[in-house]
Amino acid sequence: MKVLIVEDDAEAAAFLAEGLAESGHDSSVCATGPDGLTTALGRGFDVLVLDRMLPELDGLAIIKTLRSRGVTTPALFLTDLSGIDDRVEGLDAGGDDYLVKPFAFTELMARLNALARRPRTGGEATELVVVDLEMNLIRRTVKRGGALIGLQPREFQLLECLMRAEGRVLTRTMLLEQVWNFHFDPQTNIVETHMSRLRSKVDRGQAVQLIHTLRGAGYSLRAPA
Amino acid sequence: MPRHRLVRTGSFRLAVAYVGLFTLSALILGAVIFVAVRREAMRDIDERIREETYSLTQEFAEHGRDRLAAIVSARNAGSGAFAYGLTDPSGARIAGDLDPGEATGAPLAFGWGSFSEPDRDEPGKGARDTVRALATRLRDGSTLIVGDEWDSVDRAGREVLAAFAWALAVTLTLGVAGGLLLGAHALRRIDAISAAARAIVAGDWRHRLPLGGANDELADLARTFNGLFDRIEQLLLANKHAGEAIAHDLRKPLAGALRRLESLARARDDDRDTIVAAATADILGVLDTFNALLRISQIEAGARRAAFQPVSLASVARDVVEAFAPAAEDEHKAIACAFDGDFDIVGDRELLTQMLANCVDNALRHTPEGTHIFVEGRMRDERGVVSVTDDGPGVPAAEHKRIFERFHRLDATRATPGAGLGLSLVAAVAELHGMSVCALDNAPGLRIELTVPGTSS
Repeated sequence: MKVLIVEDDAEAAAFLAEGLAESGHDSSVCATGPDGLTTALGRGFDVLVLDRMLPELDGLAIIKTLRSRGVTTPALFLTDLSGIDDRVEGLDAGGDDYLVKPFAFTELMARLNALARRPRTGGEATELVVVDLEMNLIRRTVKRGGALIGLQPREFQLLECLMRAEGRVLTRTMLLEQVWNFHFDPQTNIVETHMSRLRSKVDRGQAVQLIHTLRGAGYSLRAPA
Repeated sequence: MPRHRLVRTGSFRLAVAYVGLFTLSALILGAVIFVAVRREAMRDIDERIREETYSLTQEFAEHGRDRLAAIVSARNAGSGAFAYGLTDPSGARIAGDLDPGEATGAPLAFGWGSFSEPDRDEPGKGARDTVRALATRLRDGSTLIVGDEWDSVDRAGREVLAAFAWALAVTLTLGVAGGLLLGAHALRRIDAISAAARAIVAGDWRHRLPLGGANDELADLARTFNGLFDRIEQLLLANKHAGEAIAHDLRKPLAGALRRLESLARARDDDRDTIVAAATADILGVLDTFNALLRISQIEAGARRAAFQPVSLASVARDVVEAFAPAAEDEHKAIACAFDGDFDIVGDRELLTQMLANCVDNALRHTPEGTHIFVEGRMRDERGVVSVTDDGPGVPAAEHKRIFERFHRLDATRATPGAGLGLSLVAAVAELHGMSVCALDNAPGLRIELTVPGTSS
């Protein structure tokens, strides 16, 4: 994964670049808005990490320019402001995801992976299949090994998210956002309790466990290696 | 009390202005009376002169000029009030003191005129009396002059003026004294209020303005300001409380993180990951608290109002209840939702979701197994009321108001995680949407009630 980091805080940029390198990803760092815009226009990046506040040209302006020139590279905004209007503003401008500093690096990685691998628009799948787990998105049915599994609507949505992100980690906050549209973290373990129900319906009594919990990181659905 | 301040008081100035106005009107009244009295006195003199002249012409008509001259001489010399003059047709004076030729101004022919003659009451002092006189032509061509002193007219005028002067002097004295007294009274009270205000400014927030004995407008004003100070004191206390709470709540996890990071140097390799994870969790907790505080502040500052859209509170409630249902079930609690209608309002779905989620969160965290939690929307008196109730142990009545304060935690819940910000956010979101929020006794349990204006069910 090739990542462009546009961040004026040198220390933060270095921390991100190091972390990405450790996870086996390439990254370039730009410290100013115009520099970032020029580099991003050169394309060749899988995902952009944009700081909202930048000297000369801020993150919003960069993404607007990029989108107007037809650059569709997914972009994630980073911000110091926990301004509650900022997320909507960033997404409206053409950003794809949003993270408030400070954040856990695992959270950033999970989101970057999701953005980079997100299928570009086109042929909407009607069926998702992982090993012997089949999900029909038209009839909204789920089968494991040919046997129908009865799921609650929310459980279906949760499983769909996991299946679409097959092999990747989805963090608790990502699931809260995508499945429940909760942009806050309740004290009660909503994700965990739904996940345990889903898991009991999907994996119980099966030789192969598909849903995995990664402690401190999140969940993923994948075929055994 | 310095004199110049007293003179500058509003009460004194008002009194002075009032006294001035009164003096002016008294002066006008005095002038009118003075003129009227003088005119009356003059008419009186003229009448007497006319009568005297008439009786003398009678004498002349009956007894002739010599007789008249004798009477005039006798009366002129006597102590009577009148002065006389009698001239023959050639103008030579026959009797009396008054000579037409000596009249002040033009020589007196016939009709009214005036003379100036030595003061008869106090001769030798050079003082002169003004005499008003009437000259009458007798049938044989001689002239009879009868005059009387102006004295009485002047005297009447002087008496009137004197009376008014006294009245004015008393009025001015009383007015100024009253003004000073009123001013001093007002100053005393203003000074007392100023002193109290200065004490408050100096930091004695419990100090209040004195109301004074009278229940007047100054007391009303003082009461209003005392209300203001009560509110400020409340806010200051809340601020102080929040500051202390922040310090208290953040010190613990920060101290924990510090201890863990320090222990890292001596730790065995196997333990390092655990230590780092624990320290990270401590710090994330602190950040969560800060983020929650910032979010509440932003909501309170009215952020997001521009992005309001039509939202059904009933659907928000259903989503929230559905999200929490499995967790509630795992804790052996029941949660249900019932709404009379859609409860359509204009607002921010995300914040409204968090608002109800925090209420449910709160109910779940502070109740034992077997608790029933109910989220319902009912119409009451044309207004929508959304309530989140539980039948748990509840909250003491004294705490009902305070649970929405930042960092407020019941003593019983000190051990459970959380910073005591959940219900503060509920209150902030409710206020942003024009809802009123209150905590009530659900007997048993707690009832959080949100009154929604302008709901359509």
